[in-house]
Amino acid sequence: MRKALVIQEDIIILKILERLVMLNHYECRAIRSINDLNIEDQSANFDIIISDILFDGIAPLDFVFQIQEIILHQSLIIVTNMGQKNIQREVLASDKVNGFFAIPLDMDNIKKLIA
Amino acid sequence: MEAIILKIIIKSLLVIMLIVYGSIAFTMLYRKWRKKHLNLIEDTFANVTSMYLYPNPNEEPDLIKIQRTFRNLGIVPSKPRNVQYLIDLMIRTQRSILGENYTKLKTLFTQIPPYGASANKLNSRKWYIKARGIREIYEMNQNQYTRDLIKLRNDSNIYVRREAQIGLVIFLGWKSLRLLPYLKRQMTLWQQIKIVEKLKDLYPEPDLAYLRKAYESDKPYAIGLIMRIIRKFNLQEDVHYIIQFLDNQKFDIRECALYCISSFSLNNDQLGEIKEKFYNISNVEQKLQLLKYIQKISYEIDLPFYKNLLYNGNDIIKLSVADILWNNGYKEEVQEYYYQQYAMQNDGEKVPV
Repeated sequence: MRKALVIQEDIIILKILERLVMLNHYECRAIRSINDLNIEDQSANFDIIISDILFDGIAPLDFVFQIQEIILHQSLIIVTNMGQKNIQREVLASDKVNGFFAIPLDMDNIKKLIA
Repeated sequence: MEAIILKIIIKSLLVIMLIVYGSIAFTMLYRKWRKKHLNLIEDTFANVTSMYLYPNPNEEPDLIKIQRTFRNLGIVPSKPRNVQYLIDLMIRTQRSILGENYTKLKTLFTQIPPYGASANKLNSRKWYIKARGIREIYEMNQNQYTRDLIKLRNDSNIYVRREAQIGLVIFLGWKSLRLLPYLKRQMTLWQQIKIVEKLKDLYPEPDLAYLRKAYESDKPYAIGLIMRIIRKFNLQEDVHYIIQFLDNQKFDIRECALYCISSFSLNNDQLGEIKEKFYNISNVEQKLQLLKYIQKISYEIDLPFYKNLLYNGNDIIKLSVADILWNNGYKEEVQEYYYQQYAMQNDGEKVPV
């Protein structure tokens, strides 16, 4: 089974994304903060990570680079409240980011990416 | 005797200290419990919403079970703070989701408690509760209450009628402008801007039939709002509406007309019209603004118009006209006026030029 990691501080968005991912046949680990990551997540090799970029103690762009280095994964999708154009441009400048969605968002667009 | 009094004071202080410590402990425990309870409501709401949007295959959402769950969590009319917390969660969720899921959420929120909690607030005697109720109704897109909002559009409280008018714009779009001639109370500039922005965000395609019906209104705020809408949607074919107010008696309406016309280009007839209106404006600052605008949109210099102003206008206008002529290659005309003025200052004595 494919594996997904969802990191969102807003529990409502987290739960909705978790359900969406699970219904698309993923085994999902859903957490609210990067503090909840553990050592096993580093070697889990996720097929997909859906994450926010706004967390305590780390700048948004630093977070994107760090998670790409620390957690093994195939693709990374950003879902965030911080949807300013310049942030989007800078995040998408990294080749490994497959999608950037600013809240409010249409979940169908994420569904197309993870199907 | 003094020792007894001292004892009483110490005892009283001890009692006060115990009461203070007791209340602090109670508050801390209550806060902790309350936070835990609110988190539980949030968790449950998140689970319910996610299961409703993405249910298991071949499984229908059990609304009775959802209603029972919320009731058990204390979402009942007797606990308004819990109800308010849930409403806030609903609004937050609806603001975050677009597309098909948005419509699904709207349906869900009409089927779970608190039923009509926001609508009930409209009956409150306190303005802030009423205004909050209206806001919740339009934030959650519960357009079944449009009629109630129409009743509140002329409310004596500025915040209540402001929210009601915004709600009507959200629900009815351009149709809501039909109500403009029937508004009886002042609409602030901020309110006008909010309405224009909401129309632009939610109904970007203008429906001119409804806008033109509002032209009948003679209230200053309605005129201002219509002019701002014409500007925002760049309605070139309706620019004549703005032109007619350029020389209005009221300073504010003229100011608004000058601001709104500045983003349009005009044809020769319209240009001629505003040049005629120029003479009717009493305020020099506004005349200067209009003069700059005329110069900006004109392809060529209308020499008779400017020369007339140069010889007959106010000093500040004359200076501005001289500036325009000088920078557009009509130096001789300016020099001619200058020397003629010099000759006039010498009590009619002719001075050789």
